[in-house]
Amino acid sequence: MIRDFLPLLLLAALPLSAAADDDVRANYLLACRGCHLADGSGVPPEVPSLRNTLGPLTATAEGRDYLVRVPAVLQSRLSDVKLAEVLNWVLTEFNADTLPRDFKPLTVSEVTAARTQVLADPIGYRRARLFGKSVAE
Amino acid sequence: MTRSNLIDKGYYWLDEKARDGVRLMAQRISRRSFLGRLGAMLAGAAMLPLLPVARSFAQESAVKEIGDPKTCEYWRYCALGGTLCACCGGTHNSCPPGAEPSPITWVGTCRNPVDDKDYLISYNDCCGKAVCARCGCGNSERDRPVYYPTNSNSILWCFGTEHRSYHCTVAVVLGEAADSQ
Repeated sequence: MIRDFLPLLLLAALPLSAAADDDVRANYLLACRGCHLADGSGVPPEVPSLRNTLGPLTATAEGRDYLVRVPAVLQSRLSDVKLAEVLNWVLTEFNADTLPRDFKPLTVSEVTAARTQVLADPIGYRRARLFGKSVAE
Repeated sequence: MTRSNLIDKGYYWLDEKARDGVRLMAQRISRRSFLGRLGAMLAGAAMLPLLPVARSFAQESAVKEIGDPKTCEYWRYCALGGTLCACCGGTHNSCPPGAEPSPITWVGTCRNPVDDKDYLISYNDCCGKAVCARCGCGNSERDRPVYYPTNSNSILWCFGTEHRSYHCTVAVVLGEAADSQ
């Protein structure tokens, strides 16, 4: 019985997920696009690119925290839930080629916890603690 | 031969050449086609700076419009702090001739009174010319102090452009805002 309806159910779920994706993209446009541009390419050197530069960061707890602790991310007006959605969207949309195979999306609790730890010197932190040259300057 | 004679001779020579040239043209080209060509040349020269070279933005989807883009009350300008490009030879979404749009902007939302929906608005500064002092606006809906730089309209957004001088600001619709902010 359920098997007969499964395709219908799947069809019904499609527009919903598409609408949610649109909302996430709209929040990216609102909070990030001003500097990083619609396709995430940025305007180097003033604005770093978000394309295929962030994948390796998701492999360690320190790197995952860093994605949230960057000042402009941490200060954005998005709620923790929406911020997690946007960050995961940036990772899967712009960084699919560099994501580790066992990539786990950022959770809301990770975002909430990291957001309380302001990074006073993001560039120094990146040079000293993170993955050297594999990360875009 | 005195100097004035020499100059006179030069003028005569020039007169003669001009006369011959015009006569030749009058014999070969009909008056109407000459006027047509002259008109096209003049119009072409006047249109040249209006070509959309690096001034316009991506095509906006069909947004229902209302209001006068040359006034600060126009709906897209709800958070615009600066001068209006629409008053400076450009439009509400394209820079005046000779000014370069900054790729880096700040993005806000404004409610369109026609359909009562919130739209994402990108406030692009047009740069590279001296400031245009016409139509200064200081709207500040959801504007934040400059220590939140990505949400502040007090910052001049001429980054990533060849010249950093601020000319005026345009308001480009990026799309509909998410349902709940």
